[in-house]
Amino acid sequence: MIDKNIDQLKRLKLRKNAEMRLKVYGILSISLALIMLATLMISIGLSGYSALQQAYVKLEINVDSKKILDEKGGFSNQKALLVNWDGIVSNSFITNFPEITKRSEKRSLRALMSSNAGYELRQYFQKNPDDLDENITIWLSASDDFDQYMKGRFNTSVDEKDRRLSNQQLKWIDFLAMEKISKLKFNTSFFVNADSREPESAGILGAVVGSTLTLTITILFALPLAVMASVYLEYFAKPGRLTDFIEVNINNLAAIPSIVFGLLGLSVFLGFFGLPRSAPLVGGLCLGLMTIPTIIIASRASIRAVPPSIKDAALALGASRMQAALHHVLPLAAPGILTGTIIGMAQALGETAPLLMIGMVAFIIETPDSFTSAATAMPVQIFMWSDSAERAFYERSSLAILFLVGFLIIMNSLAVFLRRKFEKKW
Amino acid sequence: MVDKKNNLKFKTKNVSVFYGSKQAINKISLDIEEKQITALIGPSGCGKSTFLRCLNRMNDVISNCSVNGKILLDGNNIYSDEIDPVLLRAKVGMVFQKPNPFPKSIFENIAYGPRIHGIGNNRAELTDLVHHSLEQAGLIDEVKDRLDDIATGLSGGQQQRICIARAIAVNPDVILMDEPCSALDPIATAKIEELMSSLSKSYTIIIVTHSMQQAGRVSQKTAFFHMGDLIEYGETPKIFTQPDQQKTQDYITGRFG
Repeated sequence: MIDKNIDQLKRLKLRKNAEMRLKVYGILSISLALIMLATLMISIGLSGYSALQQAYVKLEINVDSKKILDEKGGFSNQKALLVNWDGIVSNSFITNFPEITKRSEKRSLRALMSSNAGYELRQYFQKNPDDLDENITIWLSASDDFDQYMKGRFNTSVDEKDRRLSNQQLKWIDFLAMEKISKLKFNTSFFVNADSREPESAGILGAVVGSTLTLTITILFALPLAVMASVYLEYFAKPGRLTDFIEVNINNLAAIPSIVFGLLGLSVFLGFFGLPRSAPLVGGLCLGLMTIPTIIIASRASIRAVPPSIKDAALALGASRMQAALHHVLPLAAPGILTGTIIGMAQALGETAPLLMIGMVAFIIETPDSFTSAATAMPVQIFMWSDSAERAFYERSSLAILFLVGFLIIMNSLAVFLRRKFEKKW
Repeated sequence: MVDKKNNLKFKTKNVSVFYGSKQAINKISLDIEEKQITALIGPSGCGKSTFLRCLNRMNDVISNCSVNGKILLDGNNIYSDEIDPVLLRAKVGMVFQKPNPFPKSIFENIAYGPRIHGIGNNRAELTDLVHHSLEQAGLIDEVKDRLDDIATGLSGGQQQRICIARAIAVNPDVILMDEPCSALDPIATAKIEELMSSLSKSYTIIIVTHSMQQAGRVSQKTAFFHMGDLIEYGETPKIFTQPDQQKTQDYITGRFG
């Protein structure tokens, strides 16, 4: 047995207590962070889940094929342009209420259908021209206020004249819902459409594709440049004033407000090179410039963390510096470089400021199909929706945030997977 | 004509090395004979490793290191502009203190050197070369069935012999060894020492060691360094039994160092 005097025991106890306290602090701070994260995700989830559904109205419609088909029996865009699709929709809709005859009442009844319902009908016949001349039953979008009321998100306690729906309109909606003429169904348009002025037709796909295209350019541009720069700085640059100057400035670049990169992109890529505005190509280059310093700093750290004995071994065998770097050091540094890249990319994914300057903060209704077509990005889409007056955009921006977070999780899991794959056992 | 039976491999004249303004070794002139083992001994920080790293220009890698004086390999100054350090290092291989195999397969470790120098163009030639190198390093029986296993999974002694086999594979004239056994247990050390003796029939070996017993066991010639100076250089038995210098006497009898 080791002899312990009182003094030693006291100190031992103090030390144990201190250790205990530190442990408790650690657990507390981690739990606090987790609680905050959970609160955030739950509140966004609660306000966003309802956007997964959308109010649709069942209509019986019969459209004369002569008005739409050309001589060969194909769908004629020219003829379809002349058809009053909105009229067809509202006429069919009004038949649900034969008792209504007054013009003003008819107008407020028509307002319950989405102003894009006519377009949806046209799209349907474009896809299914065989259904012309037939009596068909089709579900078309209701207006966003209709939708919000059905989801219980419409505040009826407000004075009638300050509301977007009158008591009469609310009664009609109740009637339609009771008769199962209108229903909440899965909101496909959110997943297949780009932006729209009407919340019921607005979708996230355009922004997801825009972000994907932009980040593709970012990684293709930033990763090779940053890795080459860090290999040069670690292996070839002679230490001296110039190298110090470059190093200091790379660190400074990492701290520059991102909007400055947007200004740079505006003057260089748009002004000097004349690249198209709002294009993922330009957005990707701007975000790439912003990401390069982050990747350089991470890459240099992980290159430096490779034991110098590996480099020495390669050099002693007669490998050139380049061969030592490419064959031995870079593969070992790859996991670290990848982590840095993902951090940089995640930063770029959430960035809106540089995109502001090059016109990617814009209302774009087409899903982009190339690197030079007009596009927007996910954070921009969220920002624009949350800025809109319509209540129905509120739930859509929450759902879009969940999408953005999901995108990030996918990117991070990919990084973890690649890390595991490249990591070498020692 | 030189009056010794052995040819000179290295001839160094007034070699001084500076790290920045700090002088590491001072005017070393030392001739090293072919196909023999030469040991460099001395206390820590005496400059023996620095001198060794001059012989294949590994000091070039250290940014503020400058080398003065002349080092001739087979009569050619290795610090002249015509000599490419990359080709020099293929002639003068090196084994380090800590075993440092690449974290790749055993085969890839040995094959890397030949591959970058264009020796062994096809797979069969390369395989032969790898087997031959492992055989010379006395390792073939231990690893021939697991050439695709990762080299860093071997024991320390085996790893060091992999490093020796890797150095042999590019067919050098000289092998420099920088305390190759200091991280190994006595049995692994004995194996490496045995290996050195057999290799010295075909290669010139220069070894830096902290262990005077090791120097005494394996080397034909020994140089004693102290504080950056070459104190004494001569036949190993003579250095260990009747050194000319008092400092050498003090060191080998364990009075300092």
